Amino acid sequence: MDQTMEAILSRVEKPARYTGGEYNAVVKDRKKVDTRVALCFPDTYEIGMSNLGVRILYGLMNELPGVWCERVFAPWGDMEAEMRREGLPLYGLESGDPVSDFDILGFSLGYEMAYSNVLNLLDLAGLPLRSTDRDESHPLVIAGGTCAYNPEPLAPFIDLFSLGEGEEVTVELIQLCRRARREGWPRRDLLLAAAGIPGLYVPSLYEVTYHPDGTVAAVTPEPGAPELVTKRIVQDFDKSYFPVKTIVPSTEIVHDRVMLEVFRGCIRGCRFCQAGYAYRPVRSRDPRRLVEQGIAACKNSGYQEITLSSLSTSDYRPLEALCDGLLDWCEPNKVSLSLPSLRADNFSMGLMQRLQHVRKSGLTFAPEAGTQRLRDAINKNVTEEDLMTSCRTAFLGGWNAVKLYFMLGLPTETDEDVLGIANLARKVLQLWRETAPDKRRGCRITVSTACFVPKPHTAFQWEPQVTREEYLRRVKLLRENLREKSISYHWHDPDTSFLEAVFARGDRRLAGVLEAAWREGAKFDAWSEYFDLERWLRAFESCGLDPAFYANRARSREEVLPWIRVSTGVRTDFLWRERELAYTAVITPDCRKQCTGCGANCLLEKGRSCDE
Amino acid sequence: MSETRIQFAKTGRARYISHLDLMRTFQRAFLRADLHVRHTEGFNPHAYVSIALPLSVGFSSQCEILEFGLPEDADLSQVPGRLTRVLPEGITVSRCYSGGRPFKELCWVNYIITLEYDAGAPVGAENAVRALLGQERLVVSKKSKKAKSGQVQVDLIPLIRRVDYESRRDAIVLDTVLRAQNPGLNPTLLVETIRRECPGLSPDYVSCHRKQVLDQDGNPFL
Repeated sequence: MDQTMEAILSRVEKPARYTGGEYNAVVKDRKKVDTRVALCFPDTYEIGMSNLGVRILYGLMNELPGVWCERVFAPWGDMEAEMRREGLPLYGLESGDPVSDFDILGFSLGYEMAYSNVLNLLDLAGLPLRSTDRDESHPLVIAGGTCAYNPEPLAPFIDLFSLGEGEEVTVELIQLCRRARREGWPRRDLLLAAAGIPGLYVPSLYEVTYHPDGTVAAVTPEPGAPELVTKRIVQDFDKSYFPVKTIVPSTEIVHDRVMLEVFRGCIRGCRFCQAGYAYRPVRSRDPRRLVEQGIAACKNSGYQEITLSSLSTSDYRPLEALCDGLLDWCEPNKVSLSLPSLRADNFSMGLMQRLQHVRKSGLTFAPEAGTQRLRDAINKNVTEEDLMTSCRTAFLGGWNAVKLYFMLGLPTETDEDVLGIANLARKVLQLWRETAPDKRRGCRITVSTACFVPKPHTAFQWEPQVTREEYLRRVKLLRENLREKSISYHWHDPDTSFLEAVFARGDRRLAGVLEAAWREGAKFDAWSEYFDLERWLRAFESCGLDPAFYANRARSREEVLPWIRVSTGVRTDFLWRERELAYTAVITPDCRKQCTGCGANCLLEKGRSCDE
Repeated sequence: MSETRIQFAKTGRARYISHLDLMRTFQRAFLRADLHVRHTEGFNPHAYVSIALPLSVGFSSQCEILEFGLPEDADLSQVPGRLTRVLPEGITVSRCYSGGRPFKELCWVNYIITLEYDAGAPVGAENAVRALLGQERLVVSKKSKKAKSGQVQVDLIPLIRRVDYESRRDAIVLDTVLRAQNPGLNPTLLVETIRRECPGLSPDYVSCHRKQVLDQDGNPFL
């Protein structure tokens, strides 16, 4: 570490975020590697280190001979200012070397509000922002993660997008890059060859044309580029890579524990949920294997907490067996097991009691909508009875706090549905009064609402988002009807959701807006300290674009959607059918009751089936 | 279980690990090393650890002391090696011993404070600092959580046992022995005072190294 760095670190907050050197961080000999990869997470260290995908790819790449993968996170404002003042370029945490000297720079895109940080990181690295201004002397800039399913707003900045699960395609791409370097290919040849690898979308090989009304007319592939790029999946999730040996941060991060991924995909089919559609088909991991991995990861890391991770953990068939297996080791070793993302319809008290050695903090349920009609419309197959049963068990078991999460602005929502949220909260409170054995400390019910953001590759990808004014009107309506002292109401600010909706379904022209906003100082837009909607509105104006066109406009079935060249494996006509069913409030049973024929099972090799 | 202590160094990248984070780091390291140490009771049991004197973020040290509980029959000679192997870069355990004097008998700390100057140390710098610290009294205000005003007045002189000076071309090295606790004198306050009283001597960069901890009589604290 040189003196400039030491001087900088003495002036910034939480400097341990910027030093590397944690236990299990991988340090290799520069002379013995031929491929340097920077895995960039466009948010803080604390958020990025909590991401399981980052840990999987980091471990997997560093197991490849000749490859050294390092981590890069977005420096907080104080650190960025110091780096810019001292002329210190963005560096890999492991080596401290500038990332502009690396071979590959890969961004993990989990949230649209991190896009401004992607640009800021490229700039901090001293790289030209746009692909057209970079060549083979620069790192190949790639991106993956959930946001890559609509790559268009970032298209001009990213050389190629990796769609779906990265375990295999990352290795294939590294091999291709090695060959390109050995044989001295120009960047364009590498990109053309990459477009031939399934799951890689090279945006520069597609030309976008627009109708006079601003909608997309066509996204036309150049010769050699595939008509449709379909996401990659791991076929055998049981055998796929799991990082038993993982970095243990020396400073506190958001999710500071062993994360066991029990399955990928989701059987539920909630119509608003991008992850629910995009991560199909369902593939689970054997509970015995998970127990082994959990124990090994705890021993290796010294973590005293394990959490189970998936989109809906209570749908994991052998959940009780898994928990028993883990608890047999956890209890004598003083390791706690936590289980997030429980559904209100199959919540088991016995299980909760075994898990909750810790204090009886709150329980969280997400009914998403206040009336059965609307819950049916969004296919959130949870009934009021399910919720009441779960709450009764919880109250009888001594819990006195419940958090209820909802969305406002869901398609077909009426004021009756909004008031339904208040009714539901009151019923839960009434239930507590009737059932709680000890009422001395009172009851705490927290209702939270967020503004619904329609996402691509969902049944609601054609839907308008409600305006901010309309969202706030519904918030006011709900607030006026939630007067009970025991019920508190929190609502998310709609400005962020509005911008998120714009970028979630945006086209390539938004790149100009993004760049303009970044030039005016946009970064860390997921953080209220930095987010400024006015700055974004000025950027839209300077580019002659209307954000409402993207957020608040209904699309027709015929409209060419900007992400038309990208496939999650779920067919568009299936999504449209789901949308039609939403308008008649007809539910689609979960995948275990009956296969819905969404198309994702076609991603599996012969002989394998979804959710086996 | 018996009270056991380790002595360790904290250098390089590990200097930036804060006191609380360091405790957590050790709690996990004990588990990684498969050392069965005493745990706290309660909802979230964790290894019981106590560090003698919190070290400021950014300082290096070769004499940190951490106390924990280890079964009576444990082989102490193996502990330094087993722990060092599973600690982050920059933390090295040098010895492990049982018992030891109460932490409250730790009275003085030997800090090496290096004031660095990019353009060379100012002429007469050493003498100016000597004069400043050689006064009868040197009262400065210091942030305090207890005082209502958020400030307390402290006389630094009784908190300084000894200062040796070494002038280099681009630095002044202060080899100091400062009061450890109740109240302690943090080298940062000393440097702030130099900056304020002798603006011409404001260093471009300061490094602080904790070299030794001492008892009331100035003998090494073990």
